[in-house]
Amino acid sequence: MEPTNRKRQAALATRRFGLGARPGEMRTIGADPRAWLTSQLVAEHELPKPLQELPSTGDDAWAFFGWLLDQGRAARRARRRGEPAPDARGSLEEVFHPRYERALQARFQVAADTDAPFRERLVHFWSGHFVISSARPVTVALPPSFERDVVRPHVTGRFEDMLLASSKHPGMILYLDNERNLGPRSQRARNPRKRLIELPIDAPTGLNENLAREILELHTLGVDGGYTQADVTSFAKVLTGWRIRVRPFFRGLYDGADLVQFDEEAHEPGPQEVLGKVYAQQGMDQGEAVLHDLVRHPATARFVATKLARHFVADVPAPSLVDRLALVFRETEGDLAAVSAALVTSEEAWTAEARKLRRPEELLMAAGRALPEQAPDGAMLHRTLREMGQLPQWASSPAGFPDIEGEWSGGDAVWKRLAWAQEHGGRAAKDFHDAGAVVARADDVLGEALHPDTRVAIARAGGPAEALALMLASPEFQRR
Amino acid sequence: MRREVPKDSAATLTRRSLLRGVGGLAALHLAGWPAAARAGSVGDPRLVLVILRGGLDGLAAVPAVGDPHWSSARAGLEGPGVGDTGGPTRLDALFALDARLGSFRDLYAREQLTVVHAVSLPYRERSHFDAQNLLESGGTRPFALPHGWLGRAIQTQPGHGAVGLQPVLPLVLRGSETATSWSPSSLTPPGRELLEGAEALYRRDPALAAGLRQGQAGRRIVSRGGKREAAAWGGASFPGLASAAAAFLSHADGPRVAVLELGGFDSHSLQALPNGGLDRALRELDAGIATLHATLGGVWGQTVVVVATEFGRTVAMNGSGGTDHGTAGAAFVLGGAVAGGRVVCDWPGLGPGQLHEGRDLRPTRDLRSVWMGVLRDHMAVSETALHGEVFPGSAAVAPLAGLVRG
Repeated sequence: MEPTNRKRQAALATRRFGLGARPGEMRTIGADPRAWLTSQLVAEHELPKPLQELPSTGDDAWAFFGWLLDQGRAARRARRRGEPAPDARGSLEEVFHPRYERALQARFQVAADTDAPFRERLVHFWSGHFVISSARPVTVALPPSFERDVVRPHVTGRFEDMLLASSKHPGMILYLDNERNLGPRSQRARNPRKRLIELPIDAPTGLNENLAREILELHTLGVDGGYTQADVTSFAKVLTGWRIRVRPFFRGLYDGADLVQFDEEAHEPGPQEVLGKVYAQQGMDQGEAVLHDLVRHPATARFVATKLARHFVADVPAPSLVDRLALVFRETEGDLAAVSAALVTSEEAWTAEARKLRRPEELLMAAGRALPEQAPDGAMLHRTLREMGQLPQWASSPAGFPDIEGEWSGGDAVWKRLAWAQEHGGRAAKDFHDAGAVVARADDVLGEALHPDTRVAIARAGGPAEALALMLASPEFQRR
Repeated sequence: MRREVPKDSAATLTRRSLLRGVGGLAALHLAGWPAAARAGSVGDPRLVLVILRGGLDGLAAVPAVGDPHWSSARAGLEGPGVGDTGGPTRLDALFALDARLGSFRDLYAREQLTVVHAVSLPYRERSHFDAQNLLESGGTRPFALPHGWLGRAIQTQPGHGAVGLQPVLPLVLRGSETATSWSPSSLTPPGRELLEGAEALYRRDPALAAGLRQGQAGRRIVSRGGKREAAAWGGASFPGLASAAAAFLSHADGPRVAVLELGGFDSHSLQALPNGGLDRALRELDAGIATLHATLGGVWGQTVVVVATEFGRTVAMNGSGGTDHGTAGAAFVLGGAVAGGRVVCDWPGLGPGQLHEGRDLRPTRDLRSVWMGVLRDHMAVSETALHGEVFPGSAAVAPLAGLVRG
């Protein structure tokens, strides 16, 4: 490979597949950017330190339910005294926003520090595929532990394992209402007086299709994947009884075991037909068998391949790239290391122009890596990303954040990108003597991607703050 | 039966099309919004869509106090009676209006508010996700359409321009090339040097250049951002955003359509409590409408505001003093251009045998007919477009006539 071409590919690797370069990263990539990327898929990876200190899934789940029980008590007390109800929304923010900001700061710290940025990008990608969101109060505390316990362990493992872990995580069960999914002919539907201890949320009243529908539409087959409403209904019946073990919560005995288990009394008995196949298994085996087959459905391979190619390469990816990724997904039955390797070794992934617009979260992470002297600040990230419309793990729908440029290049969005570039440049300016030092940093982190015009503009800026603002605002920093 | 497009609307359409052809290009670059009918005449309509998220209890906002089953059906939920302190105001023999909606009451008295009751989306399940998607997409199947009905409607007449008072474009406005978004920013506005520098760099990036031009236009019209901006616009409160919407709509070069949203209507528990969730949400809605009325000033007379939610709620109280997800509810059409002072309704009744699935207010009107009526008679969108690209699968739905002063 020509030296210039090699440098260009190194710059592309850090932007397209990484999180943007840290100072010096381009040099460590060396002669073979593809090897740098694929090596990140095979190495053993410990849980990054900032994440080790975050609460467990059980702690996160209990934090909300404990809070909810307290709210109920406070509301009943107020009602007895004839006082106005306490401000639940205010209390929710007071308790859970600081918690969220700690997790957000840890996530950005990991993104800024990691020497496996492609792997980290994949974590974010799969978190955006299996979405749970703090926008629903019932899952306000759960997304960080969901990402750590569901996504991270399987990011270079098997898609099926991630799908299973997701479908059995209390975050997903609560976010998509499977806690309220009751078989119409289940023991409890036939005998409503048969009370169980329930979480302090609405008790189940009947079939709830949310989880079944979203697994088909958003996690596996895709909306055009060829399933019918009858498949959704049958699959919802299959998933009845996938619920949270409530008893340990209320006894203060939570022991760290799987929180989701099979609730026989809520389960719809009997075989179900999904996508033309009859599933007659008992218990959770029935649902696991459906998930097993969904992973091997050609529509799932195509849906996942399209999303991957769209996220990493282009809003409208080359059909040949999607075909190849779908083929690898099918042949390996969803081996995510193999699919990810196919992505970074495909010719189309290196020839496409770097035109993807970084979403606000990606933009701020790239800045965190380019200017690592600035430590992430959870409260500031929270405020800025909320105003920019992409508060991480706070998506407004189970489809997650959109992944095409048109959604992020509106007037408000571009103006705020510029305003942010100015503020962040101002904060980071104390680490630079003059505009010349900023040119050196831009050369370091953008490499061959730095356009000569941008380089000249940075060099001519009035001072380091202005120079940094231009670097962050430049098309090559806004895109990847 | 297909209705004829009213003569006035057809005339407006023609004039607007002409203006777009002639004057549009020259003014396009100044504001970021394409210029269209800028004459400020009554033919220059404004439209505001207010989306209430969570499922407003239509029977809490517009109680059917004249229904013979009212008291029994709503046992435990009824507050003070008509005529009591804090009680609802009578609208007609059947309906009253909740006391917290004071500005709605005043508009009703001035015949600038029409209530549409027992209305629902073409959706009979009870998921917020699905129903809110249909509320914005205008489709018949959740998540089947990638854009929104209002975006598609504007796209038939791009001269209108639109703004969503949110950081990202709301689904309902997607599909329009002229729609943009605005929300308060606590970031310091970019300085002149950075703006000029970025404009120069964006010469090789037309999308960022266009975004910056639109963003600058928005900031010129409404606010420049900065540490005090959030406070200036009520900390992004609903009334604050309503006043920002009014600033956009009343500006000569501003958009003609605005979208606002307000959450907090998912009243599963203790909904009758003062200072409870529903209480605060209704007061915020009322304050926002009052602000919109006050700040729209001279263009109020050309304005129609549609207030809609994803679904109504169960008629009876649930086990925790609230109501659960239901089906039909109430929508509001208000503004200076509205032929109001009435409740449009084919009342299904609250008796035990009259409820949908034994629990919800039975829908007797498709919410899309309300939007279609406003789009046709106020915004001059053709019925062909309404039944075609704007609301696919709506052939059997007739626009609700007579909502707008003719």
